[in-house]
Order: sequence, then C-alpha cells, then structure tokens
Amino acid sequence: MSRIALPAAIVALIALAALVLPMLLPWSHDAIDWDHVRAAPGTAGHWLGTDELGRDRLARLAVATRITLAVALAAALVSMLVGIGWGMIAGWAGGRTDELMMRIVDALYALPFMFIVIVLMVVFGRSILLVFVGIGLVEWLTMARIVRGQVMTLRHRPFVLAAEASGAPVRVILARHILPNIAGVALAYLTLTLPGIIMIESFLSFLGLGVQEPLTSLGILVKEGADDMDVAAMGLLVPGGVMVTLLVCLTLIGERLRDRFA
Amino acid sequence: MSLYRLDAMGVTIDGRDLVRGVSLEIAPGECVALAGASGSGKSLTSLTPFGLSAGTITGSAVLEGQDLAGLDEAGLRQARRASVGFVFQQPLTALTPHRSAAQHLTESAMQAGGARPDQRALVAMLEAVGLADPTIKLRRYPHQLSGGERQRLMIACAIAHGPRLLIADEPVSALDAHLRAEIMALLSRLRRETGMGLLLVSHDLASLEHHADRVLVMQGGQVVEAGSASAIAAAPTHDYAKALWAATPSLRSPLPGDLPAPGAPLVEARALSVRFAGSGLFAKPVTAVDAVDLAVHQGEAVALIGGSGSGKSTIGRAIAGLGPVSAGAILWKGAPLPARRTREQRRMIQPVFQDPIASLDPRWRVSDIIAEPLVHLRPDLTSWGRAGLVKKALQMVELDGALADRMPAALSGGQAQRVAIARALVAEPEMLVLDEATSALDPLVAVQIVALLKRLQRDQGIAMLVITHDLALAAQFCHRAAVLDAGRIVEQGPLTQLIAAPQATMTQRLVAAS
Repeated sequence: MSRIALPAAIVALIALAALVLPMLLPWSHDAIDWDHVRAAPGTAGHWLGTDELGRDRLARLAVATRITLAVALAAALVSMLVGIGWGMIAGWAGGRTDELMMRIVDALYALPFMFIVIVLMVVFGRSILLVFVGIGLVEWLTMARIVRGQVMTLRHRPFVLAAEASGAPVRVILARHILPNIAGVALAYLTLTLPGIIMIESFLSFLGLGVQEPLTSLGILVKEGADDMDVAAMGLLVPGGVMVTLLVCLTLIGERLRDRFA
Repeated sequence: MSLYRLDAMGVTIDGRDLVRGVSLEIAPGECVALAGASGSGKSLTSLTPFGLSAGTITGSAVLEGQDLAGLDEAGLRQARRASVGFVFQQPLTALTPHRSAAQHLTESAMQAGGARPDQRALVAMLEAVGLADPTIKLRRYPHQLSGGERQRLMIACAIAHGPRLLIADEPVSALDAHLRAEIMALLSRLRRETGMGLLLVSHDLASLEHHADRVLVMQGGQVVEAGSASAIAAAPTHDYAKALWAATPSLRSPLPGDLPAPGAPLVEARALSVRFAGSGLFAKPVTAVDAVDLAVHQGEAVALIGGSGSGKSTIGRAIAGLGPVSAGAILWKGAPLPARRTREQRRMIQPVFQDPIASLDPRWRVSDIIAEPLVHLRPDLTSWGRAGLVKKALQMVELDGALADRMPAALSGGQAQRVAIARALVAEPEMLVLDEATSALDPLVAVQIVALLKRLQRDQGIAMLVITHDLALAAQFCHRAAVLDAGRIVEQGPLTQLIAAPQATMTQRLVAAS
C-alpha cells in the first residue's frame, strides 16, 4: 500500500487545492484586475501574478485543474461503464457474439480519432460535450478488451461452475461472482486511463478545440503560457508542472494497482 | 565411498529454520527417497544445497568430496554443471517452449564441456530414455510432446552430460498413473546402467518401495523416520510415517465389503457424445466424448477412471448440466433431462471440483458460499431457514461453525474442500459429481475427505460419480468403475472384477500401476 500512498496523497492534495482555493481567493478565474495586468508573482495579493488580461493566475490554475480532473474522471467513468458492460457480455457469451463485438472494438480502434473529433467540432460547433463524446469513443475500447479477457478466464473457474450448478441465473453470476473479481483490475486500468484522458483533453484545448473560454483547463493555461513564455516563463511552467505531476502520479498509482491485481 | 552426503544439513530462510538436521548418504547407483506431505521441507532439502531454491544451508553437503556449503554462486554453478542432473515436477514448464528437443539435448550435453553431439548421439540419448520414433521427436517442441514424452525428454536432458548424481523433484506427480510406473522404472534402469546416484523427492509412497533403496520420511523440516524402503513400507514406526503410508491407497489393501446396496437407476447417459470446435480456422471438431453409456443407481458410487484428456471431466460436467452435450441423452430416473434444467433438476446433481480454493469465490464469506444454492434452488426459505441449513451442512462435513465467517483465503485445502462439499450438500441433492475431489489435496487430508465421502454414502445414501485417475482411490468406496480411454469407455464393471481380471489394455496398465 505504501507504494501507492505517496502518489495518491499528491493527487489528493492537488485535487483538494483545486476545490478549495477558488473559494478562498478574493479573485475569480475570469475577473480582471485592471490595476495589475501582467503583474509579477507576489504583487498585490496575486501570489502567482496575473496574465496579460489581468486575471489572477492562481485562481485560473485552480479552476483549470478542477475542470481537467472533472473531465478526466467523468470520461473515465463513462468509459469504464461502457467498457465493462461490453467486455463482460462479449467474454461471457463467447463464440459468434464475442467475435462480432470484438471486431467492432477493433474497427473503432482503427479510426483516426483526432481527425474525427476535429470533424465533429467543425460540424457541430465547439462544445465540452463533444470532448466527452470524442474521448469516450476511444477510451472504453481498452477497458472492454481487458474485461473480456478477465471474464473469459473467470468463467471457467470452478466457483463460477459451482454457481451455475447452484442454479444462479447469468445476471446474478455476472453481478455477484464475476464483477467483484474483476473490480481490482478494472480499478487499476481506470486509474491508467486518467492520464491518457488528461493528455487528450489538454491536447484538444491546446488546439483550441476543447474547453472554451471563459472556462479554462490545464491545456488552455499551457497554451496561453506557451504564447507568452518569453515574457513570463512561470505562466507556462506552473500549469505545465501541475499537469506533469498529475500524469506521473496517476500513472504510478495505476501501474502499482495493476501489479497488485493483474 | 559416498557420492553425496548431507551432514546435519539445515536450510534457513530469513532467519527461520525450515529444515533442520538432515543427514543422508548416497552411494553410486543408489536411490535415496525423501517422502512427506507438502511443506515438509523435502524440496528445500534436495534443491537448496545446489543453490536452486531460496535460503542458505547450514551443516555440510558434500558432493564427491567437495563441500557445497562453502561455495559461492560460481562454484555452485560449476558443481551443478559437471556432476549433477535435475528433473522437475512439471515437464512442460521446465522445458523452454521455443527450443526443440534436439536443441535442449545439445545444450545439456555440452554443459559440462562435452563436444557438440551429432544426430546419431542425440537419437541414442532419446532411445536410452525409451522415446519412440527418436528421429522425429528430435524436431518436436515441448508443446508437441505428450506429458510422458516430455518427462522422458527432461530426463534425457538431465543425464545428457553424464552426471554422477540425479536429483528428481516429484518427477511423476504431474503424470497419469500408468505413466508414473513407466517413468519410475526408467529412472531405476538408468541408475543401474550408468551407476549414478538418485535423490528422489516424492509423495507417491506406493512406488518408493520398488524403486528406492532407502527412504527418509520428513515432517515439519525434520527427518522423523529413515530406513530401508521395504522395511518402512512393511512396518513404519513413527506415527507420521504410519499415517502417511496408511493414507496411500493401494490395491493391496482389502476392498471394503460393506458398501450400501444400490437401488433403482438414478442417472443414465445414453450414447453421450461431446464435440468441441477445434482451434484454428479449418480445424475439425474434436470428439472429447464418444457415445458413452453410463448409469449411476441410487446410493451407488461409480468411478470414472482415465488419464488426462480422456474426457472424464467432460462427461461429469455434461451429467451435472454444466457442459455441452452434442449427441445422446441424459436421463434422470428414466425421464430425459432437457438442455436447460429446471431448479429441481439442478438441485438433484451437485458438483465438487478438484481445486478446492479455486472453487470458492475469493470474495465471498464461507456462509454465503454454502448458502448460495439455497438462494436459487430453494426460494421458499427465509434467511433464518437458510442459516439453519448452512449450519447443518457445516456439521455434516465436520467443520467448526466458527469457520462460517471466514473468507476462502483463510482456509486450508482440506477445510476448503469440506466447504465445497457442504455447498454441494446443502440443497439436499441425490447425487454428487466429484471431479478429482481429492487429487489436489495432501495425502493425509485426502484420506479424511475420503472418510467423509464414505460416511455421506452410508448415512445419507447419496449416489456419487467419482471422476479420478486413481484406481486405488476409487476402490476404497466405489461399487463400479468405467475405464475411459480417448473419450470411449473401454471397460465397465464392478471394481472387484476389474481389479481381479482386467480385460482392456488400459485397465491392465492402471491395475499394474496402482
């Protein structure tokens, strides 16, 4: 457990700060302080300074982290639900059903994901919902494959056969015998999909296709910081640093959970 | 002069003494056996002096005048390479999957610095271990060989460099009964021909008497009895050795004469066939069970005996309603059972599986595991009624009621198998399908489970289909037996008759091996 505790504590700390800070700070993420535009860190109560529009960088960082984490968590949960459902049905049914379902997964894998998201954005306009749809479309595929494999090994285990012999209907076997026994592996891979989703969301936001102003995300902050980095390097380094810390910690947690369960 | 000698040898892992004060001596051409239940330290005793198992040794282990205790990694490697060969329990995992038989043999033959063997030498090596068609087998990979062939190849590799000492760690435990005798005979013959010493680790006591010169019985890391194999087999003195020998089923022990008389036919399989789709795109379907006729009467125990891959488990699953049926019918008291069974039909036949731990859901409490059939098969019961029946089932399998709150991981193998039997019994079935229900257990535990089954047979009048590879085990409580070979029943009849006058070749081999 101790190997998971440290990265988990760091992630929890970042998440907590992102939740609490906006309530404590006198500035909101989109309020403009006309007297201090491009303030250096530390001036007039702006601990991290202000950006080129006079918005408090710390408040923006907190809200951005919050949005990024929320999008990642929501997308990961959706992908987990779809992936587990799909994988369990395919793995349990086997045969032709399994074949068909897994070929659909393969086909979706083969689609150029970024291209489709961009086309969707162009056709339907930019919205955070489409970001979800786009991310959800890819991220459940891996989960479905993993869950299917797990279910296929579990379904021939004697305890599942014993449950069948005891007259348990399929849905009860799936819910009460199979699901609890794949929960650990599913949790590990859920944690491993989070960094992937954060990367995708940030990438889309960096391109201006993801989260839209006045809302903000780590990807947007990194983009703004990158535009401005020759003047104020901190504007890039701080949100970039938070993002890297999150990615590293989440990956560590996921891999260590996977070592434990898989 | 002795070839290999242990003097008060002990094995320590992380400060714990797992083996203490073992002394033994092997002369050239002699076979010394270590016997004992799992966890008794016999594998550690045999492997640790050569650095092949965790831990450090105390005392001395002298191989041809050289004390292994003082050697570093390189020294041990040199000692192993030059004069020792090893045979392990699982021939499939002990052979490298991507290397052919010829490559394995070449490597082994050259390990002590010998010249690269030519084709003729390789063929001779395989002939020496009794492999048929050696020229063809040389090109085969481990997965293309049968279990017995793999173990022969493993032995050929172990002796390819001409070792003076062969260490065999449970060399036959993973093999079918009739193969065990052949491999043991092979080891004895090689020992006679080459004059090498053999340190044999085994819990198959029945074979030790014929193949070992001396036996050391181990318990809890210590030798509790040592002596000549025939003397110990004839009259073990230590309690543990006695129990161990008594726990080894043998055909020489008298058959039980007090089996309850069977009643009317309960379950009948008529021309039962099971075919599986072959793997690969154009593979033909594999016939696992071919037109089998089998009946179990009320209160009768019928053994289904065969080697691995003979289709015996497939038949058991088909009868329990857990596996596919391709053709033929299964009748319950004269009426055919449908493919999808009703609750009542399910309740009547309950299975018990080989691996007791794997047959219990690791995330369920024992009481929930036992209650599961009641939840589905007896919806009329209240949770109170269920709890009462669970308690009764626990008593029936002689388990402490306090175990009901445990998780499966906190049970021993024997307790877990009792829980699995309790689960099978709780819904009051008329028949149990026991799929190798004792073969994953320690001999001492298996004997208790057999006693429990006998009692259930006598007191509850439960019919049993006993799926096993062990004829001697079946003889302890079965009325009749059917011998399977490659999906067909080759012989069927009362056990007394099968043992006294086996007709089919397969039966003869089984009787000879038991």
